Amino acid sequence: MARSVILGISQRRAFRKLLGNSRSRLYRMAYAWTHNPHLADDLVQQTLCKALSNQKQLKDPGAAEAWLFRILSNCLKDYYRTKREVLSAEELVIVDDRTPEHESEEQQLVSKVRRAVRKLPLPQCQVITLVDLEGFTYATVADVLEIPVGTVMSRLCRGRRSLREFLTDIRPQPESARTAKLMGIK
Amino acid sequence: MKKDEHYSEEQLNAFVDGELDPEEKSRLYNASERSPDLDQRLCRQRKMKDLVQHAYKDVPLPFRSGGTPLARTGFLGRMIAAGFLIAIGLSTGIIAHQYLDQRQIDTGSVTANAALPVHKIDKYLLHVVSGEPEQMMAALEHATYLLESARSGEDRQVEIIANERGLDLLRSDVTPFAKEIATLQQNDVVFYACSKTIQRLEEKGVTVQLVPFTNPNYTALDRVVTRMQEGWNYEKI
Repeated sequence: MARSVILGISQRRAFRKLLGNSRSRLYRMAYAWTHNPHLADDLVQQTLCKALSNQKQLKDPGAAEAWLFRILSNCLKDYYRTKREVLSAEELVIVDDRTPEHESEEQQLVSKVRRAVRKLPLPQCQVITLVDLEGFTYATVADVLEIPVGTVMSRLCRGRRSLREFLTDIRPQPESARTAKLMGIK
Repeated sequence: MKKDEHYSEEQLNAFVDGELDPEEKSRLYNASERSPDLDQRLCRQRKMKDLVQHAYKDVPLPFRSGGTPLARTGFLGRMIAAGFLIAIGLSTGIIAHQYLDQRQIDTGSVTANAALPVHKIDKYLLHVVSGEPEQMMAALEHATYLLESARSGEDRQVEIIANERGLDLLRSDVTPFAKEIATLQQNDVVFYACSKTIQRLEEKGVTVQLVPFTNPNYTALDRVVTRMQEGWNYEKI
């Protein structure tokens, strides 16, 4: 009986490969949700362990990616529900330890956008990152986060609106503005 | 000019995210050609998407000694381990207290060692407590994964300790995984059967037969405590 629940060797290998290949994407998502490299790494670790333990629950291999991200989301939920109050000093992360002077223009842009994303409420952040980074459809995001599609759309809307407000100063500088600046120096 | 106001932000997002059907998409695209305002609104939405993609296009994975996805015991892992130790500690009560007293000298030396910085940890203790075949298999899979994902030339040690219902994994007359265990043993994975669990079963009249080369000389508590003090990664499956 026990044997009957065990997947075939090739399936198990394929599953392990899937987990290995998904790690960097899961980490990127966990990082975008927490902006804490240690916590993100732990969450991914938990996600992969849970996926291994519960691989039998995965009925449709085509839905494996959404399934993994759902586990990740639930791990984060569990973390905030039960562990927040016992955060150790190790969990406190200085996200930006470089000063703007030391950053290239591109790094500054990246930092600025990440800071803006960090300001978003987690539900909005999750929807935006799942849509934008993973390219998931709204239906898949709804499945991952276990919310209705309408909620996905409204969170996306509010999230992007907030991002726009946080990032108002990021726009290409018009030629006229540059000229005006130079004239001022003169 | 008013036309673009018919399109809500949700619709513009759906356009940018490729969620509209071809007909709606064409309609909105044509409308944006006619209306600079609508076009600008669309650009703004797309810009937010592009910025987010750009900001996270390069998120390097944190360094981990083995470069394996399942290879580090972090905060959550330690919490699980701590929970396990607390539970065991409470249940063993005075005996555990006396036991720890007896280990005073050893603990002192191990603590001193633990204070040293550990730069590279490539030792893993997996702990099986469940009698469910899926969980047992997950532990064996995990061990296999750890071995397979070790970098070439890297020495990685993996041990598996089983107690409570998880002991079934190592009971030769019960386990469905004797072959898998033998294969892992050939790859130097060490298996421990908790002596306390064996004792309890024998007290109930159960004859415990273990798969060959299983070490029955330690309690799960002892193995977990010792290995964690020695800097091993601990994971409860």
